[in-house]
Amino acid sequence: MKGYRKYFLNKLGWFAITFVFAFLLNFILPRLMPGDPVAAIVSRLAQGMSNTSGVQAIYQQYSDLFGTNKSLLEQFFIYIQNVAHGDFGFSFSQYPRTVADVIKASIWWTIALQFPAIIVGWLIGNTLGALAAYLKGGFDKVLMPVSIFVSNFPAFGMAVFFMVIFGVNLKWFPTSGGYGFDLIPSFSWNFIWSVIVHYQLPFWSIVVIAIGGQAIGMRSMSIYELNADYVKYSRFMGIKDRKIVGYVFRNAMLPQVTGLALSIGTMVGGALVAEIVFSYPGLGTTLLRAILGQDYPLISASTLIVTVMVLVANFIIEILYGFIDPRIKAVQSD
Amino acid sequence: MAKVMLEVRELTTKYITRFREDVYAVDHVSLKVEEGKSLGIAGESGCGKSTLALSLMGYYFPPLHYTSGEIIIDGHTISGMNADDVRRSILGKEIAYIPQAAMNALNPTQKIIHFIEDVIQAHNPKTTKKEIYELARERFELLGLPASVLQRYPVELSGGMKQRTVIAVSVILGPKVLIADEPSSALDVTSQKMVIKMLRDLMEKGIIKSMIFITHELPLLYNVTDDIMVMYAGQIVEKAGAHKAVFDPLHPYSKGLMGSIIVPEQGLRNVKLTAIPGVPPNLKKPPSGCRFAERCQYAKPECKAISIGMRDVGEGRTYRCIFTEQELREVYKNA
Repeated sequence: MKGYRKYFLNKLGWFAITFVFAFLLNFILPRLMPGDPVAAIVSRLAQGMSNTSGVQAIYQQYSDLFGTNKSLLEQFFIYIQNVAHGDFGFSFSQYPRTVADVIKASIWWTIALQFPAIIVGWLIGNTLGALAAYLKGGFDKVLMPVSIFVSNFPAFGMAVFFMVIFGVNLKWFPTSGGYGFDLIPSFSWNFIWSVIVHYQLPFWSIVVIAIGGQAIGMRSMSIYELNADYVKYSRFMGIKDRKIVGYVFRNAMLPQVTGLALSIGTMVGGALVAEIVFSYPGLGTTLLRAILGQDYPLISASTLIVTVMVLVANFIIEILYGFIDPRIKAVQSD
Repeated sequence: MAKVMLEVRELTTKYITRFREDVYAVDHVSLKVEEGKSLGIAGESGCGKSTLALSLMGYYFPPLHYTSGEIIIDGHTISGMNADDVRRSILGKEIAYIPQAAMNALNPTQKIIHFIEDVIQAHNPKTTKKEIYELARERFELLGLPASVLQRYPVELSGGMKQRTVIAVSVILGPKVLIADEPSSALDVTSQKMVIKMLRDLMEKGIIKSMIFITHELPLLYNVTDDIMVMYAGQIVEKAGAHKAVFDPLHPYSKGLMGSIIVPEQGLRNVKLTAIPGVPPNLKKPPSGCRFAERCQYAKPECKAISIGMRDVGEGRTYRCIFTEQELREVYKNA
C-alpha cells in the first residue's frame, strides 16, 4: 500500500503542474488577441456623444475598473489574488454582470446536457460493440460501417444534420435555445416541457457520435478478449457461457473506462460545438460570445472550468483504474 | 488387465474455416488409456495433436466440429451427449484439460480462488465458499503450492507458478482423465521439471487416474509416459511402449522423427541427426493413400493409391504402413 500512496502523490503532483500551466495559458492566450475590449464597450456607450473629453473620461474609468491599463504581469498577479478569493471579476461584454454570475447561469445547462449525453452514448456504444463481437454475422456487418461513418462525423456536422432533418424539415423539435424564447424560467409544466423538447436535438447529436466511437473500440476489445486463452480454458472447466461472457466484457470494458475519461475532456471541446449550433444556453455558447466580445475574464474563467473538469475526471479515472484492474495496480505500486 | 479409463473409437473431427472449407485435423483416431497409465502423443506442429486434445473433451465450439466416432470415459459414452450435460457433468469432473501456454489461461482480473469458486459452482452450485476454500487450500498444499497463491491475481505469479496453478485448478474436481497439451513447452528447464514432477504426483496420489500428455519434445515424453503415439497429418501412424517408440520405431515417419532429435542416452554420441524432407499434406484435401508417401524414401507406387490400415504386431504395438515389420527392418538395415 505504501507504493500505492507514492503513486497517488506522484500523480497528484503531475496534475498540479498541469494545472499551473493550464492556468497560465488560460490567462495569457485570450489577452494576446488583437483589439481593445474597453474601446469596444466605450464606443457602444458613447454612441451619439460628441464630447471627446467625456469619452476620454469614460474610457479612463473603464480601464481603471478592468485594470487593462496596467502591465500584463501586474494584471496577472491581481488576477491570481482575486481568483484565490473566488472572484473572477466583471464580464466585459455583459457588464455589469460578474463572470461568476454569467458562468453560474450557463454551467448547469452544459452539465445537464453533456454528462447524460456522454454516459448514455458510452453505455449504448459499449453494449452495441459487445453485442456485435458476440453475435457476429449480420448485426456486426451493419453496425460496424455505421459506427465508423457516424464516429467520423464532426460534431458540428452532426448537429447541423439533426437540425436540418428533425428541426427544419420534419419540424419535430425546435432548432435553437434551451427553452421557448417567450417563456420565463419557472417550475411550471409549460416551461419544463419546453426544456425537454429543446434538449432532444443537442442531446442526440452528441450521443450518436459517442455511440459510434465507443462501439468500435468495444467491439475490437471484445473480439480480442473472446479469443483469449482463458475463455477456452474456462469453457473446458465447465463454466457456463454466460459467466464467461461476464469475464470477457469486464476485461474488454477496462480500456473503455479510459475512453470515458477522455470523452469528458473532449466533451467540452468537441461537444460544445453542438451547443453553439443549437444556441443552447450553456458554457459553449457563453464561451463563443465571450470570444466574440473579447471578454478576457469570461474566456479565462470558462476555460479554467473546462480545464479543472478534465483534470479532475482524468485524475479520478487514473485512481479508480488501479482498483478495477489488478494489472494496472501492480504497475502503479512499483 | 486394468480398467480402461479412456477409450476413443474412430474419432473424427474437422475445422470449418471462414470460407466454408473443411479441414480434417483428426481423422479416425482410436486409442485406449488404462487406469494408472499415461499416454504421450508426439508429432510435428500442425499434425493434429492439439486438435486431438480439444476433440477428446467431447465439447465442441466453432470452428471445431464433431463428425463421427465415440469417446468413452470409464464406461460412459460422452460423444453424442447434449452439450450442456457434457459441460455440467463431464468437463472438469471426468476429464480435464491443461491448455497450451497455460500462462494466459487465467483471467487476468480474477483472483485464483474466485476462479476456483466459479469452476466448482458450475458443477455443484450448492458448495459454499468456505468449503471451496478449504478444498482448494488442501489441494494446493498437497501439490506443494503455497495457499497464499489462492488470494493472488495471475499477474502476481511467475510463469512457472502460473503453470502449476493452472494444473492444480484443472484437477480440483479429481478428474479421471487429464489431458495436458504441451504443459511445459513455454517454461525454462527448472520450471519444466517442477511441472513434470507435479504431473507425476497427481498420478501417484490418485488425484487423477490417467493422463494424456501431448508434446513435440520427445525426450520429455520418453521420461514421462508409459506409451507413445505418433501422429502425422491427423492420423495415428504408430503406437508403442515409450522405450520402443523412441529407440525402435517402425513407421518410416516415426523413424525420421526419432532420427531428428537427441534423446540423452549412452552411446548416442556418434549418432548423426537427420531431417525429413518435404512438408505435411494439406488437410483440406488429404491424399487418399498413405499421407506420408510424398515424403517417404521407401514409398512404392501403391502407397499413394490405396488407403493404408493399422498393422498390429502384438505387445500393444501398432503402426500404419504397407510394409510388414520384417520388410521394414530389412530396409532400415540396408539404409
